[in-house]
This record gives sequence, structure tokens and C-alpha cells, in this order.
Amino acid sequence: MNETKTKPLTNPTRRKFLKYTAAATIAAPYITSVKAAPTEINMLAWYGHGEPDIVGAYEEANNVKFNAKYYAGGDNMLALISQSPPGTYDLILSDAEFVLQLNAAGYIEEMDAAAYNFDDMLHDDFKQFPGHWKDGKLFSVMVRGGHLGVSYNKNAMTAEEAMSYKGFWKPELKGKVGHFDWHLPNLGMMSLQNGNGAKLWDLDDDAWKAVQETTMSLRSQVGGFFDYGGTFNSLKNGEMQAMCGIGDWITGVLEKDGAPVASVIPEEGGIQFTESYSIGKGSSKQAEVQKFIQHMLTPEGQVRSAEMAAYPGFCITKGGLALLQETNPKEAARSGQVEGAVNEPIRLINEGRIHYRDIPTQQGLEDWNDFWSDYKNA
Amino acid sequence: MIKDGVISFFLKAYLVVLFIFVFAPIIASVIFSFNSDRFPTIPLGSFSLEWYKLIINDPDIAKAAITSIIVAISSSILATFIGFCTAYSDYRYDFRFKGPYLALALLPPTVPLIIMALAMLAWLSKFGLSGSVLSIVLAHTVLCTPFAMAIIRLRLSQMDTSLEAAAWNLGASEWSAMREIVVPFARPAIISSLCLTAAVSFDEFAVAWFVSGLNKTIPVVILEIVQGNIDPRVNAIGTFVFLTSMTLVIIAQVIFMKNQNKGAVSG
Amino acid sequence: MTQANKKRRVDLYALTWRLPIIVWQFLFFVGPLVFLIAMSFFVVKNYRMVETFELASWERILSRDYFWSSYLYTFGMATFATVLATMLAFPASFALAFKVSANTRRWAMFFLIVPFFTSYLVKTFSWYVILAKTGVVNSLFGYLGLGPYTLLNTWIGTMVGFMTLVLPLLVLLQTLSLSQVDKNLIEAAHNLGSGRFRTIFNVIVPSAKIGLIVGALFCFILSFGDFVSPYYLGGSTPQTLSILIIDTTKSGNQWPRAAVVAICMMVTLFVIAFTSIVFAYRKPKS
Repeated sequence: MNETKTKPLTNPTRRKFLKYTAAATIAAPYITSVKAAPTEINMLAWYGHGEPDIVGAYEEANNVKFNAKYYAGGDNMLALISQSPPGTYDLILSDAEFVLQLNAAGYIEEMDAAAYNFDDMLHDDFKQFPGHWKDGKLFSVMVRGGHLGVSYNKNAMTAEEAMSYKGFWKPELKGKVGHFDWHLPNLGMMSLQNGNGAKLWDLDDDAWKAVQETTMSLRSQVGGFFDYGGTFNSLKNGEMQAMCGIGDWITGVLEKDGAPVASVIPEEGGIQFTESYSIGKGSSKQAEVQKFIQHMLTPEGQVRSAEMAAYPGFCITKGGLALLQETNPKEAARSGQVEGAVNEPIRLINEGRIHYRDIPTQQGLEDWNDFWSDYKNA
Repeated sequence: MIKDGVISFFLKAYLVVLFIFVFAPIIASVIFSFNSDRFPTIPLGSFSLEWYKLIINDPDIAKAAITSIIVAISSSILATFIGFCTAYSDYRYDFRFKGPYLALALLPPTVPLIIMALAMLAWLSKFGLSGSVLSIVLAHTVLCTPFAMAIIRLRLSQMDTSLEAAAWNLGASEWSAMREIVVPFARPAIISSLCLTAAVSFDEFAVAWFVSGLNKTIPVVILEIVQGNIDPRVNAIGTFVFLTSMTLVIIAQVIFMKNQNKGAVSG
Repeated sequence: MTQANKKRRVDLYALTWRLPIIVWQFLFFVGPLVFLIAMSFFVVKNYRMVETFELASWERILSRDYFWSSYLYTFGMATFATVLATMLAFPASFALAFKVSANTRRWAMFFLIVPFFTSYLVKTFSWYVILAKTGVVNSLFGYLGLGPYTLLNTWIGTMVGFMTLVLPLLVLLQTLSLSQVDKNLIEAAHNLGSGRFRTIFNVIVPSAKIGLIVGALFCFILSFGDFVSPYYLGGSTPQTLSILIIDTTKSGNQWPRAAVVAICMMVTLFVIAFTSIVFAYRKPKS
């Protein structure tokens, strides 16, 4: 017994020496590559905004590092913020319609309006997006947008059929219509199908009831409810032939990959998703975050956003648009960001065919969400 | 009987089919990870290391791997320690409320992970602990302890009860009997338990997803890729994950089985 | 060693080994679950939880049709998975227990333990690719001139996922209990002229009852609470209670409501577990 105690320690200094050498060898590559430790910026965003294709070059050039937490849907975003201690997130990419709530809940900082060049914006609406300013103070800056309509597989639906939300009810699509699993864009589309037009979010009891009925009548066509990945895959592998609640932001990625899918803005009108940056309340890195937002509004930043690998969005600045047309004419043409294209985003807005996504005016988000749960279980 | 042989044959064939089913997703995932296609079908695309290159060059994945390793090591040590204490208490003592005591120790696997996740996140954020690596360790220790307890208890049941008593009779204190007899005897089980609980922690995604915040573990990264832009990176990471957990589980088993029949140690 | 010897006075030594689990489980297992119950009476205002005592969440969830339909569906799927898995596992366990050598059995069990501890998530994703309309299974069917069949986003997909999750564990538990059945008993039944199936159902199954029931119980617990398969392979059509919990926490931060759903699940599992354990250990009426 007690063998270990009697065991002689052979040459302790040599062993120590070896240990330190080994440690030094392992650590060496790290030591040499370290400049100053990069400033870490915590980002809360939709999937893809913190990926290398967007932030990689910027991180390298500015010695910062983004830690991204991804969410899906504005309700999800608010929930995540409220679950974390204040100051957790430095940069918040939110859907524009939720900025008002972010502000009301005191989750975001006031921003320096002079730091951003609003004159370069492609549309007047983008300068003063609803909810982004409060009492003349700036709280959020729009960075990109995209249009939602009918997304379909070209082998299953004709372009004419896709020009109306009625296309989702096509008998051949039974079990092959998918939903992006978030109530807001889906019910918005159903509201448009009901002919509510610009009043799509402003529904009185009867109109709301009618929207619910229309939605329920689609239920037998539906093959699944998907998150981002699921939506993407089920369109790609043909499990779903049409998808409600999305637009080019998903089909665009697949189209670039050669899949026979497309999105159109139907006769009844389409919905615009708008993405805006805000600075998280209590962030200790406000200067760094401001610099990054400024960068994303430069032509280079805008092009990077338009080409984002996870999902495309259109440029919102004149400079960005010009650079995109120059450096990537193919993507500019595909996404309609050229003069005279049928799906030219700014023209669609000016023609009144696009409605900015918003939260329901006469019902609570909760009511919509509740109905969505009902619908999923129907 | 010929008929018996036929039945035997079909049963064995069925057994093989069942094993194929159980292992199919694991093998398929490894194959897909070397396949150039994003959505593999038959015939397979060409051989490619693209997905491996992607993950190796991704600093976020490296960071998650480090977090995972820290969590797995910490929670396996904690769980094995607590599991050992519990197993020994059960082996050595009878006491009031032993039934509830054991239930308390063994119940966690019967609670659905998503419920554990919800409860854990709510509880930990009440104390400002959510979102930290520590919170994952705390939660994983709860999930791992029953496994540790079970393995060590199994080993202790092979120990001759008179062994410890003999040591006391020779004048050893309880503490030194523990050190000289019980711990050495349980050592294979302790090592097995460390490996197995590390594997459990390394693969756990639901609770980690809820409580981890920005400190993602590997399974959480996988979940985010699956929820986001699904691509075969998942398979490439998966291959590493499979290799890690299989190695751990195999080591755990080999060590445990090797010592299974070496009942009471001599000396 | 006598009982008296074991029942020593509780001393520092004994407490050292006994206390860690009690302290740890109360802090990080019982604590969270009790808090979950308390949380179900909280309310959420402006995305923030307010600690109070109101029945609002209970009233809301229990009065919703979607909760009940989702409850029935989850319960049904878990029951079906339990029956299916038990039937699928039994012949394999039977073969392992009675038809192969001890060595083969040891190796088989060795290899069954491995998948039980390997990433369920990656396996699910693998099935996703295999089961897709353009995936491996359908391309194989294609060679036979069949299909393509819709397997994803149906209950079939969900079941494949559940089986992946539970079969290794179930075969393990069944084999363990079957191999403890007294071989002489089977011999005796044969000698008395009992047919094969009658021997199985009259002799083997009753002797291995406890193991079979515990296996089935685990099967039920795992499938009842799993959210990965119903979501990724089943397309959440319709959604299960676990998916409902995730949805509820995501949208509007309604944790109290999620807690209500969670408690209903826990109570269900508790009742099922209690009944089946009682049933398992009940002495057969002679």
C-alpha cells in the first residue's frame, strides 16, 4: 500500500521543462497571430447576418469579432432580448415593424442621426420609416428589404397561376403547399387575398373573421410548417411546390443554385419585409456598432447585403444600387434591380403594389399568433 | 428440428435488418459528408472535402468545439463525483427515505428535455446565470449524474461487502478504507462514467440550446445550421461528433467490461 | 454483514456521500421544476414576466382547442410509437436472448449502446436527406419502378425518427430481461407440448414482464417529449406539445403558458409511469 508515496520522483526539473516546452509549442501559433484581442460585438439577427460573407472582411479590417445569435420572427426576437440581461446584445437587426416595440420596451439606444447619409436612400419612405424616429430622435436605421408574394416551383405552377394567391388553392398542389412558420407574413397574404389591399393589417372584426376563414380553407392544401432551413429545403428537394409567407429571400438563393423556383408579386399585392439596425440598450460598444452600421450603408456594404449567402435583400441606397449593377449585373438583373425590370422593387412600391409588413392594428399580435396555433393544429 | 433452424435464421436476419436501420443514419451521414451534392441522392455525386474545409476554417465552429469540450469535461467530472457519492451511499447504507432519495437521483432522464430546458432557463435566468457556459455545465450535470450513478453502482455491487469491513477491522479509518479499497475497486467504473457522461453532454442540444445564449456548443451550432441554411456541413461536423461520442462510449464499455469479471481485487 | 452494522449513526462520513446529490438536485433539478409550476401562475406584460398569482395562463391554454388536439395527437403518436417499437424490438431481442451465442449477444449489446449515445440531431438530419422525395429511399424505389413516395412531413417521417431514438435502448432493455428468463421454464413448457407462440406469450412474456414494461415506458417518455422528429421529419403537421412549448416561448415570450403545457405533459408522464410500474410489479392472479 501507499506505493505512490515511496515512488521516487525522477528528475522533476526535466519533467517541468518538458511540460513548459510542450505548452509553449501548443500556444506559439496563437501568440504570434494575436494582434490586439478583437473587440467582440454581440449581434441579434435573422440567420445569416453574422456569417463570414457579410462580416468577415469587416472583422478583419477593423479587428472586431461578431458573435451572432439568430432568431426567426419579431416575436422571437423580443422574447430573446427579454430573456437576457440588459446590454447582452450590442447590435440588433430587427424587422422594421418591431422597432416601435423595441423602443417602447426600452431595449434600444437613441442613435446619432447625423452619422448616416439619408439623402442617398432610394425611396423617401426609407428615410423616415414608420417607428424608426420618435419625437425627432432616431432609433433605428433601415438597411435592406425584400418583397414577399407567391413562391412556387415552376414545374408545378405557371407564372399566370402564381400571379394570384388563389394559386395556392390549386387542386394539384394538395399537400404540397408549405408555410413559413410565422403568422405575420402568412396572414398578411391571406388578408391581401381577401382584397383588403392597403388595409391588410387594419382589420375590423368581420374582416379578421373573413381572413381566418380564408386561411382555414387553405389548410387541406398544406403539407408542412417550416423554419428557415425547412422552407429552404422543402422547396429545393421538391417536397413543397409552393410556399406561403416568403418571397425572393428564399427562392432567390435556390434560383442562384439552379432550382426551378421563383417568387412573384401577385395582383392582390405583395408585402415588404424591412430590416433595420438598432443599438442595444446598455451596449458598451456603441461607437463600434455605429461604425459597422455606417459601413453596411456604404455601396460596398449594400452590395454585400444584396449578395448575402443566406438570403438576398435589395439595396436601399443609390450608391449601393449603382455598385451592384456594376459589379454583379447578373444578380442585379435576377433580383430586378435594373431599370425597367418587372420586379423592380422601387417601382413596385411606387405603383402601390407593395405593403410594408406591419403588426395588426385592431387585434393583438397574440390574437394572430393564437389563431396561427389553431390553424396549425386544424 | 428443421423448422427451428428456419425460424432462427429469419430471426437473425431480422436482427441484422434492425441493426442496419439503427446504424443507417450514422453511416449515411458520414458518406454524405464526403459527397459534393448538397442534397445527396443515388447515384451519389463526386467525392469532396469541401464541407470539411468549410468547417475547419470556421472560427465559430472552433469556438463552439472548445465550449463543448469545456462543458463536457466539467460536467462529466461533476456528474461522476456526485454519481459516485450517491452510488456509494446506496451501496453502503440503509436509511429512511432511501426510496425518494434514489428517485431524486435517477429521475432526470424521465423528464422530457424540452421541459428541462424551459425550467432550467427560467430558473437560471432568475439568478442571472443564463447565457453562460456555467449554466450549461450545471444543467448537463443534472442530466449526466443518473448515468454516472448507475454505472458506478453496478460496479460496487460486484464488490465483496466484507472487503471494506476487513479494512476497518485492521484499524483503517473509513476514509482510508474508501481511499485504499473502494475507490481503486470502482476506478474502471469511474473512468467509464467520465467517458459516458462526457458523451451525453457532448451530444445534448435541447437544454444547451435554451440556456447557452451566445456561448454555443457544437450541437447548438448543428441545430442552428439545421434551422438556418441546412447544408452538408452538418454531416461533416456530425462525423466529428459521431467519432468523439463513439470513441468515448466504446472506451467506457471496454474499460468496464474488461474489469467486469475481476471481482474482488487481491491485496 | 448485518443490518445493524449498516445502520450506523449518521455521521460526517456518511453525510459526505449522501448530501451532494441532495443539494445538487434540489438546486438544479427540483428547484427549476418547482419554479416551472410557480411560473405557470405568472403573467407576461410587454414581453416581461411579472411574478404574481393568476390563473390566466391555465384558463387560456386549457380552453384552447389547439392544445387539446395537439395533446391527443402527441399522446396518440407516443402510444403508437411505443406499440410499434415494442413489436419491432421484440423479435430482435428474442433472437439476441435465445438464438445467438453469449459472445454475439455481448457484442450486439455493445453496439446497441453506441448509437443510443450518439447525436440524435445529426441522425435526424441524415434521415431528412434519406427520406426526401429526391432522397436515397425514393431513388432506390425508383429503380424498382415505384414511388416517389412522400415520407417527409408525414407521420411516417416522425415515426422513423422515434424508432431511431428508442429502438437501441428498447432492444437493450428487452434483451436484458429476456435473457434472465429461466431457460428450464421454457424447456418445461415445450415438454408439456406448448406451441412456440403459446410458450412466448404464456411463459416468456410474463417472466420478462417488468423489463418489457419498463422498456415500453421509456419508449413512451422519449417519444412523448421529443420535438426533433415531429418538427424536422414530420413538418409539424400537426404540431406536438413539445413544438407547442417552443412556439409559445418564441412568440411573445409566453413562458407561463409554455409552463402550463409542460406541467400537463409532466402530469401525463407521471400518471403513465406510475400505472405501468404498478402494473409491472403486480403479482399475477393465480
